[in-house]
Order: sequence, then structure tokens, then C-alpha cells
Amino acid sequence: MLREDFVVQANIRRLLARTDIDASLIDFGTVRGVVYIQGTFQFSRIDPSWDWEKVNDFTLNTLYSLEKKIRRIPGVSDVIFQLNNWRREKGHWFHVSIVKKEEKNET
Amino acid sequence: MKPKRSLVYRRILDEIGKEIQIHPNYADLQNQFALLLMVEGEMERAEIHFLKGMRLNPKYREAIHNLGFLYMETKRWKKAEEIFLSEAKRHSEDGFLHHLLGMLYLQTGREKKAAAHILKAMQYHPHYRDYYRQKGVWQRGTIHLDPKAQSILKKVHLYPYAQFHNFVGLNLAKRGKFAQAVKELKKAEGLTPEEFIFHANLGAVYYYQGAYSKAVQEFQNALKINPLYGMGHANLSYVYGLMGRTGEALRCMNKAVRLNPQYADLHYSLALLYNDRKQYGKAVSELKKALRINPNYLFARINLGVLYEDQKRWKDARREYRKILRITPDDEHVRKRLESIS
Repeated sequence: MLREDFVVQANIRRLLARTDIDASLIDFGTVRGVVYIQGTFQFSRIDPSWDWEKVNDFTLNTLYSLEKKIRRIPGVSDVIFQLNNWRREKGHWFHVSIVKKEEKNET
Repeated sequence: MKPKRSLVYRRILDEIGKEIQIHPNYADLQNQFALLLMVEGEMERAEIHFLKGMRLNPKYREAIHNLGFLYMETKRWKKAEEIFLSEAKRHSEDGFLHHLLGMLYLQTGREKKAAAHILKAMQYHPHYRDYYRQKGVWQRGTIHLDPKAQSILKKVHLYPYAQFHNFVGLNLAKRGKFAQAVKELKKAEGLTPEEFIFHANLGAVYYYQGAYSKAVQEFQNALKINPLYGMGHANLSYVYGLMGRTGEALRCMNKAVRLNPQYADLHYSLALLYNDRKQYGKAVSELKKALRINPNYLFARINLGVLYEDQKRWKDARREYRKILRITPDDEHVRKRLESIS
């Protein structure tokens, strides 16, 4: 089983490199076909002329398409996103603000 | 020698220019912009942006080297010498810097100094011994700086242009334009075939493109020049994995880990490969090493739990799963695993 996990990892690495996602802010791991994606979901480059709404739409589309592409990798049985700036509830993605530790401590 | 002006280059220059307006404090953008300007022949503006990049990050080696090349290109030898000497002081065992200094002194007629740095370049990087031998500079154990040796001077000037093609290639690859990216990276490689990173970058683009055999070839070329390039061994391992050659993948990942023992993700990858060969003890040991480096490395902990389960070490598995749920209480997969062994 885990032989596939190593190959799945190599495939995800390849997949992320083919997108504008900032891979340096993301960690990923595969455990018996279950793919975990953790960290901050952000793009390494965005058209400077885009407004917030356009960036938001683009991010949503990228999140949906990323999940689809990962699920298509042979050996993948599930994808679990544990992002600190986006959260999925009932199939829909929501942007969440990153609460800094210092702010938490103050409250 | 100089790249022909093209729409692609101009477009990238415009884009980086716009990005700089938004992020003026990104040293890498300043360096990229300066490199593009330099190739466009706008030396004064290029110098300003290299200097900005260096002010933002005084240890930014690429920007420092590029500025040194700009000074060489504009024949400001003293300034170039200052830059490369100060870098060589900081990185005294960097063969490339000694090579550059050797070329700089050769260019300015200081042959004794040139010979001393050429010797150091060979001492710190064995690749230069072959290189100088091929160019006729190193013959039967002695240095020959006759007029024929002048041919290597020309090569040094090519370096920033090679860097330019390398940067454009990586930029195009990021946009998914792999065919164009390969063309640019091949130009970089053609200009300075002795630079391992251009081979490695071309290998990476082939890997992303799915041309695995070509990727293997390029990573091997890079590692022949610089066998100490740990990430090159790791990338080669991933490509072998995708080709189903897991034995070779394991061998390469082992080398990558030996060269970069501080990288948790390499230990993690090695653990997956050991497990594939049913070497569970070694797999557990690598996962533990990854967790010692990064105790919050969740996937390593989950894999460790699963391996303990396989070995019927229920108590150890429960302990790992509980630790994970303290960090990510919503992980249903782990919760189910814990419930099934509780």
C-alpha cells in the first residue's frame, strides 16, 4: 500500500509545481491513500490588476480543481484539507482569517 | 551571445516591473528585475535594482554574484574584485567563487593571483579540474595561462545570460508552458554546461512535464557535476518512484537524507520507501527522526501510528493517534483508527 503512497507523494509534488499555488506554504502527506494538505493556501503570483473578488473566485476554483486532480491520482482514496486560511463546510469553501498567536493571547 | 529581444522577455520584464511596484521590499523580485534589465542592456538601472535587492537581503548570494558580473561586463574590475573577494571570504570553500576570481585576475593580467584562485577552485570543487584540463589550463599538474586559456574568459561573461535563460525558463514553467521552458533552460545549459543547477532545473521541468527518462538524464548530469546536491538526489528519487523503479528511488533518497539530515520531509519520504520494502524497523526509525526535527509533522505521526498498528503495537499506535487528535481534533480518519483499536 505504502509503495503507492510514495508515488502519490511524487505525483502531488508534480501537480503542485504545475499550478500557481505557493508550495512553500503547504505541507502534504499520504497515509494509505489518504492525502493530507496542510498550511496556508496562497498563490505565488497573482495578476496585480485583480480585485479581491476575482482573487477569491480564482482561489475557490483552484481549490476545487486541486481536489479533483488529487483524487484522480491512482491510489488516492480521500483528500483531507487542513488549511489555516480556508475551511470546507458541507462541500463549500469559506475563507477564514488567520488568527495570530499574539492576538489570541491578548483576548 | 546576448539574447535577442523577444515579446516573451519583454512581457516578463513588464510583469516583474509591475510586481515590484506592489512588493518593493522583495529582494528576489529586485534581483530578477535587475537581471532582465541587464540583459536588455540597461546597466545603470540594473545596478540600482541589484543594490536594492542586496540592501533588502545582504546575504542574497545570487544578487551579489549578478552585480559582480555586471561590473565585469561593464569592465569595472575593481568593484567586481571587491564583491567576489568579500564573497570568497565568507564562503572560502566555494569553488565557483575562486573560479570567478581566477578569471577576473586573468582578464586583468594578474596571472599569479589567477593561478592561485584556479588552484583553489580545483581544490574545493573537483569538477573544475576536468574543466580546466579540457580548456588546456591544467596540464600535467601545472597551470598554463597561455593565450589559449583566454577562451575560458569568454565563458565567464556568459554566466548572467545563462542565468537569464534559466530564470525565464522557470518563469514559463510556472505558467505551465513547459515546451518553451525547456527551450530556455536548454539555452542556459548550452551557455554554461558546467553549471549543475541549470541541469537540475531542466530535470525538474521534465519531471513536471512527465518526461521522466529525460528528467533522470538531467538530474544525473547535475549530480555528476555536484554530487553533494542533496535535493537533486531527492528529485531523482521521486522520478524513479513515478517510473516504478523503487529500488533506485530508495538508493537516491538515502543519499538525499545523508546530505540533508535536517530535512524532515526527506526522512518521511525515506520512511515510505522503507515501508514499501517491508523494512518496518527502518521506516519507524526514519519517521521518528522526522518527528524529532518537527514534532508537529502530522503525516509522519499518522504513518507512525499506522506502522505501529501493523506491528500490533496498539499502545504505541493509540499514543500517536491521541497526540494527533490533540492538534487536529476534526481528523475523522485518525479518530476512526483510534476507535478501532481502543
